[in-house]
Amino acid sequence: MRRKSVLSGALLAAGAVVILLPMAVMAIWVFTERWAWPALWPQSFSLRAVREVLHRSGQLAGVLASSVGISLAVAVLSVIVGLMTARAVTAYDFPGKGLAVFFTSLPLMVPVTVFAMGVQVTFIRLGLNNTVHGVILAHLLYSLPYAVYLITDGMRALGVSLEEQARVLGATGPGAFRRVTLPLLAPVLLAAFSMAYIVSFSQYFLTLLLGGGQVKTFTMVMVPYLQGGERNIASVYSVLFLAVTFLLLTLFGRLARRWMRHGGGDFYG
Amino acid sequence: MKKKLTALALAALMLLLAACGGGGKTADAGQADPADMSFEELTEAARGTTVTFYGWGGDELLNQWLDDVFAPRMKEKYDITMERVPMDIDQVLSQLSGEIQAGEEDGSIDMIWINGENFQSAKENGMLYGPFVDKLPSFQQYIDAESEDVTLDFAYPIEGYEAPYGKAQMVLIADTAVTPDLPKNTDELMQFVQANPGKVTYPALPDFTGSVFVRNIIYDICGYEQFLDMEPDKETVRAAIEPALEYLRQLNPCLWNEGKTFPESSTTVDNMFADGELVLNVTYEAYSTSVKIENGTYTPTTQSFQFDKGTIGNTNFMAIAANSGNKAGAMVAINEMMTPEVQADRYKVLKVLPVVDYDKLSDEQKAAFDAVELGLGNIPQDELLSKRLPEMPAELVPVIEEIWLEEVVGR
Repeated sequence: MRRKSVLSGALLAAGAVVILLPMAVMAIWVFTERWAWPALWPQSFSLRAVREVLHRSGQLAGVLASSVGISLAVAVLSVIVGLMTARAVTAYDFPGKGLAVFFTSLPLMVPVTVFAMGVQVTFIRLGLNNTVHGVILAHLLYSLPYAVYLITDGMRALGVSLEEQARVLGATGPGAFRRVTLPLLAPVLLAAFSMAYIVSFSQYFLTLLLGGGQVKTFTMVMVPYLQGGERNIASVYSVLFLAVTFLLLTLFGRLARRWMRHGGGDFYG
Repeated sequence: MKKKLTALALAALMLLLAACGGGGKTADAGQADPADMSFEELTEAARGTTVTFYGWGGDELLNQWLDDVFAPRMKEKYDITMERVPMDIDQVLSQLSGEIQAGEEDGSIDMIWINGENFQSAKENGMLYGPFVDKLPSFQQYIDAESEDVTLDFAYPIEGYEAPYGKAQMVLIADTAVTPDLPKNTDELMQFVQANPGKVTYPALPDFTGSVFVRNIIYDICGYEQFLDMEPDKETVRAAIEPALEYLRQLNPCLWNEGKTFPESSTTVDNMFADGELVLNVTYEAYSTSVKIENGTYTPTTQSFQFDKGTIGNTNFMAIAANSGNKAGAMVAINEMMTPEVQADRYKVLKVLPVVDYDKLSDEQKAAFDAVELGLGNIPQDELLSKRLPEMPAELVPVIEEIWLEEVVGR
């Protein structure tokens, strides 16, 4: 028993190092101009990168707001569509069910560049190119598979028996779903919501091609610096990216836990 | 507490709606054909419109200059809003071809930063608007329309379909504190590489910079004249560049990772050089060294240099999309970019080689260029330009890149 905890402790520590060390290096790069081999510590520091990003803070705040807005919309829609799909798949039988399940995972199998090129022409014909709703629709197609899988699994594990029990005790159909199934599914819904949010927030190529550079998201501003090898500016953006994502996911987690505790109070006491 | 989640969802949807409302299109600049309009009429038609400028966005200094200097200038002078869209040229062209295929007439792309084989393929596929440069007063007044830097783009006739934006020239960069002797030709480069095994490499082709480095090696060994009218036939090219291929293969064992692989982009090589992992860097931005010394990225002893026989220079250009919704605005912006004032400011702030013809300037305008300080590590402009070699025909470039992949990498 003791041995096992030492081993798992070591693994945990190694994992932490692998994840945290690069993040620490990135934080140092925010202020670094020159960090040449074989020095262990940067030779020259500057606030240039921070200043240059701060200089754009007004514009950046707008981009960040629209980026978060797009991703939240995608996440909300993913959970709604995912929930309905999962319900249909677990609770009902219908012809072509296997095919429908297969199609939901299709976007994961087709490379994003191929998909984007193909859908671009269709989007232009429909007038969806270079629009925010077009970008949301495209992101949605990519985040749906995750949402559908997660929620389907959760729903399958939960089954329908508790909901049926509620019906027996006199609850209406929608009431039983809302007061019994939904709160119990909260952890899964949160996972699906977060996943969809991250998929959308970190999407670059799809946004670029279907937004035509006119729909500006955070990655649209960040990626040119990564490609351009401007490491300190790219680091500032990356740190911002992490901070925003971390804050929002923590917030979602809190909200979901509260909702679970209170909404599903009868079960969790 | 589920109210909170509902509120969150509602907020998300409201944000979405608000964002949708903001995504306006560029205004249409009147119905008349811009080809029949005088420059004054174009200026009038472009008033109050937005011009989108698509191009590579990885250079923060340039981005800031476009946003903080050029855009306000256009707003004040012509009431035109400039919108810079950072995008790689491949993606710009694929978006443009998608829009054209779908029959979009009020296209989202107005101005494009372009040159070389991208220009050739875009022009040949009818994706560019033109000819338009003769209409622009600053082109007529300040640009030497006869010079090959302006009539040819990688030996491909421009025919008025793009206007010069800035000049680039390949230079090599080394830190004289680390390597005091700088190679002046390919023989000395061989010794240089052998003296610093594993510490020299170049970006893998088809990277722009890696590609020009290889062409420069070819020029130094095989001479450049024969390539200017060569057919893009693979076997002809292979035979002509064989001595250079042999040279590059001999370099391989002493290169970084023994020439089995090459860094994927010039920006990676830039960073490896700044990190001291490499002792030689190659760049198209002839005057970037002083900027990087000022930032502290390079040491003050870093120096750019050329081969005695010269290095390849080319011009980069601005073109207009064939389906641009605001051709008048794009022309006004392009005209402004070629004025001596703007070119001098770009030279001063960004250290971009100007495209205006020095002899056509007034004394006052000349003074603005003369006043620019060269900065540390740069080659004086007259020396740099006196060793400027022309680019090969654009069609040869992909052929050479293909041959390099087959005959040099890992051999």
